[in-house]
Amino acid sequence: VSKCGAAVARSAGDEERRGGSSGRCCVAGCLIAVLFSLIPLGYLIIVSGTNESDFFFGDRSFSWQNYERVWNRYLPNIQTTLRLATLASVVDLIFGYPFAYILIRKVRYRELVRTLMTFPLFGPLYLAFGLYYVLLPDGPMAGVLSFFGIKGTSLLYSEGMTLFAMAIFTFPFMVMNVGAALTNVDPMFEEAARTLGAKPWQIFTRVLFPLSWSGILAGFLMCFGWNLGVFVNRSCWGGLPQQRVLSLVLQQKGMTQFDYGLARRWASSDGVGLRRDVGVAEVLTRGVGGMR
Amino acid sequence: MSAVIGSSDHSGRRSTPRAGWLVAALQHGYIWIWLGLFALPFVTTTIHSLESPDGGYSLEAYDYIFGTFKGNLLTSFQVTVITIIINLVISIPAAYAFVRHDIPGKQFLLSTLNLSLYTPGAVMGLSLAITYAFLFHIPRTMTGLIGAYVVGTFPLMLVPIIVALRDLPRVYEEAARTLGAGRARTFLRIELPLLGPGISAGILLTFVIIFNEFLVTLFIAGPTTTTAALRVYNLTRTAGFLPSTAALAATMQLVSFLVVLAFFKFFGSRYLKGTYLI
Repeated sequence: VSKCGAAVARSAGDEERRGGSSGRCCVAGCLIAVLFSLIPLGYLIIVSGTNESDFFFGDRSFSWQNYERVWNRYLPNIQTTLRLATLASVVDLIFGYPFAYILIRKVRYRELVRTLMTFPLFGPLYLAFGLYYVLLPDGPMAGVLSFFGIKGTSLLYSEGMTLFAMAIFTFPFMVMNVGAALTNVDPMFEEAARTLGAKPWQIFTRVLFPLSWSGILAGFLMCFGWNLGVFVNRSCWGGLPQQRVLSLVLQQKGMTQFDYGLARRWASSDGVGLRRDVGVAEVLTRGVGGMR
Repeated sequence: MSAVIGSSDHSGRRSTPRAGWLVAALQHGYIWIWLGLFALPFVTTTIHSLESPDGGYSLEAYDYIFGTFKGNLLTSFQVTVITIIINLVISIPAAYAFVRHDIPGKQFLLSTLNLSLYTPGAVMGLSLAITYAFLFHIPRTMTGLIGAYVVGTFPLMLVPIIVALRDLPRVYEEAARTLGAGRARTFLRIELPLLGPGISAGILLTFVIIFNEFLVTLFIAGPTTTTAALRVYNLTRTAGFLPSTAALAATMQLVSFLVVLAFFKFFGSRYLKGTYLI
């Protein structure tokens, strides 16, 4: 009994000391975040106010000229980026919702499906190259494509295939978010609506859609955020119009032309957009079935 | 319940078994078409890697895996393992603090730690390249690469451990303490083994991301730190999609998939909730 009492007292003493030790537990993580995330992103914003020659010769004066240049010269690039990201996310929603519904309601081999769904998540790099090879005249699917009267090379570098590749990459994000929302919708609601004579589209618009709205929004924003920053898909797939997007301009300006000021400005706008969208998605995901 | 739904049509009447079978077949077909599309790039890459110059099929391209590409693969494994170890050392105490203690501004702190996860790769790569070169004066070595990987994947290790720790009742810890075990012993002998699945989920996510990461690497890697994924990208940009490059890409995907498969087989998807994978 005395041993137990001593242990409980020791435990109580530990509890009192935990306020300080809990802070120390997070120090390493915070240090890493500050050094390799916050400082670089802050530095990025500072440098976005400089121009090329200023940056290299040390006489760093600050102005809004890069922001003006982006607005005046690269507005079409912003529009292309937003258009492609929006369309790819819409494609994800249209095809991802039925997929998530069937997966949650009808399929028993969900773990297998989730395992196979990780293929696109290995990265857009392999996805882009693999799909590129499919469309070549001597590709492994050439016979199948010609059977359906499809000319693979005509699809290559088209906007449709760019969207398709982008949509495949982010498809799992939509399915995961919508699936998490549908898990929390009791099938009894659908059954009740059906028994009361509701048509399928009425069940979808009046029951399922409102109840899974948070998952749809979370999935859409997450897909949109990732599609804004997708890099390799467009460089391998897109024709010239599809390559006028933020991520590729960022790489070209930053790594080949060394216009760091302008590249910084690009990075600022692209990064802020993604963090805002995916941040909202993260909050909604937590609400519907994620980390509580 | 699902059986009832599956066997009635939309007007509430019982559907015929044949119609029900057809609907079920269409539903499963829809799932498998998409799964086929997901796996298609891997399948075509593998087929391309097996093609030989004389028009037949051979494993000739895979000789490069143990030859020219061996160094790149080793670099990939090396940075992945080091990153996983650092992530573990950082994440386990941090997750413990987040779940077991009241930290002021917990949500803000967690969001700050997660910030890098939501930063586009090109943005992160370029910002780190500039910061390393002009602010930190770090040369393009393994240190800078690992720093970037740790900050990019640390939240992926943290979240599954938090999920696992929240599922772990405190009674185990309290029972061990009551029986005289010290804090370190309680953690190492009681809590750590029970956190195994959560830690494994973190290792899985970190592995999948780092092993296949090329975009941040493209900005900050030096000549001696070219990873296998970056080599695939560079080769494809300069020499086209050769069978040897396809062999490297197929190997990378196969290794990643086997790791995922093993994890799902042993632990399922439970501990991946809240992460971006599930």
